[in-house]
Amino acid sequence: MPVGGDVAPPGIPSGNPTGSPVPASTPPSPSTPLTVSPSPSPTFRERLTGRPRPAADDQPVVVLHDVTMRYPNGKEALKDVELVVPEGDFVFLVGPSGAGKSTLTKLLIRDELATKGMVVVDGDDLARLNRRQVPKVRRKIGIVFQDFKLLPRKSVWENVAFALEVTGTPRRRIRPAVDRVIALVGLTGQAQQLPTQLSGGEQQRTAIARALVHDPRIIIADEPTGNLDPVISWEIIQLLLRINELGVTILMATHDAEIVTALRRRVVALEDGRIIRDDIGATYHRED
Amino acid sequence: MIPFVAFSLTRAWQGFWRNALMSLAATLTMVLMLLLLAGFFVLQNVLLASLSYVEQKVEVVAYIENNATDDQVDTLVATIGAMPEVASVEFVSRDAALARFKEAQAAQGRQDLTASLDSNPLYASVNVKLRSPADLDSITTTLRTDPLVRNVLNIEALVDRVLTVTTFVRTAGVVMVAIVGVIVLFIIVNTIRLAVVARAEEIEIMRLVGASDSFIRWPFVFEGALVGLFGALLTLALLAFAAEPLSQAMVGFFNVLPLELGSVGRDTAMLVLATGVGLGVLGSWLSVRTYLIR
Repeated sequence: MPVGGDVAPPGIPSGNPTGSPVPASTPPSPSTPLTVSPSPSPTFRERLTGRPRPAADDQPVVVLHDVTMRYPNGKEALKDVELVVPEGDFVFLVGPSGAGKSTLTKLLIRDELATKGMVVVDGDDLARLNRRQVPKVRRKIGIVFQDFKLLPRKSVWENVAFALEVTGTPRRRIRPAVDRVIALVGLTGQAQQLPTQLSGGEQQRTAIARALVHDPRIIIADEPTGNLDPVISWEIIQLLLRINELGVTILMATHDAEIVTALRRRVVALEDGRIIRDDIGATYHRED
Repeated sequence: MIPFVAFSLTRAWQGFWRNALMSLAATLTMVLMLLLLAGFFVLQNVLLASLSYVEQKVEVVAYIENNATDDQVDTLVATIGAMPEVASVEFVSRDAALARFKEAQAAQGRQDLTASLDSNPLYASVNVKLRSPADLDSITTTLRTDPLVRNVLNIEALVDRVLTVTTFVRTAGVVMVAIVGVIVLFIIVNTIRLAVVARAEEIEIMRLVGASDSFIRWPFVFEGALVGLFGALLTLALLAFAAEPLSQAMVGFFNVLPLELGSVGRDTAMLVLATGVGLGVLGSWLSVRTYLIR
């Protein structure tokens, strides 16, 4: 059992998500697509690590300019995409299957390179990175998947620590960092359990803890509630909202119209590879 | 650097035991393949030793004129013995030749008829053993041109046949070992690949959380080396146990052919270790590479 893991970091609301739906009157994010929102202070990074955020940080976390993605088989997954995500934003990425949501995600983590256009994450033009620099950019991005992608033979704690171990973090820094994020997602009591012993919601919270442990600038969640029932989905959304309040930008691809409509955050709608809508507080109706 | 190596070794060790079934399967495949390779390697060596033995039997016999003096013969023997192609030279005097003839007759149970001779009809000879029967021509020519030499026994036809057979068997042996080597290579590399592919998700997660290529690659490479090392050690243990009873069983064979197999044991051990560890490393390197290149 990690020592001190049951102590939540100062400034982070304690207590588990209640599971009750967030009221539709939740205040919308103050951000707009092309302006930079003031990030809450002290930031998540400061609260989590005690390190101050680097100066001159007004740049958007994500910029896509004129991005087209054509796969080798000729299919155009994204066409002329323009997207700016300022620091601290909470963005829903919606659209039917095959609209390009997953491709967009892959471009951001540089799993794929755009055929045309520019993809910038935290100031790095991904097309100009050489192979050795790619992992460093990925450490600024936390990724959460629908299918959790946890290692079944490792405990919750080990799964989260894994992300630090394989990036060469010294052992003495791993323990406190892992204990903090596990406390943040409310899994301190289950830290030594294996993923198979957990509920779906708990597994997803483990994945979120792992995404957070690198102290990322942005969390990209690809259908994080896709495998979860509505009540558990709301727990996950509340957790993401709380992380967003701590200053982490969140980009969430989803099909869940109820959640998108209720939260009234920025919604970017993709269809057939194009952005057809980019509104704050928008509603979303599934058409597929 | 040292923390990185320690990390990779620890991860390799964990990876091996946490996927015990897969590691065991890979190690056992490794053992079987290495046994196959070692078996063929030992066979090949026995074969080569047998061939050398056969080839050493080739002996050039030059008969010496009866009027040759001892000094002249000594000079001839010294000259021939100094030639690089010559393994050994032996002078057989007329009396010795007769004695040998008698011995050979007696050994075959024939009646000794030499008593009825009034004088020794045999010539003295210089018997030359060659390092390789391929050098027969040059030795024969040298001997023939020497005035002391009466004539040289013509064994070219025999030597040709021996050479044809030994060359064929040697080539066949090398081809067999090469084929077995390629089979072993593919099976081991594929087995290691299976073990890596079974953990594709782990590699995927490592990439997603921003692990650098070397942090992904080296634990797997060390794990491949570990499989190779375990496999090789197990193979050598099995071979060590089997060696004694096998040579006992083949004692009759070895009595007929007094082979020189001095360093085969050591060579086999080196081959098994190098192949096991080498292919383990190669297999995992290649397998992980397919996940890293993107």
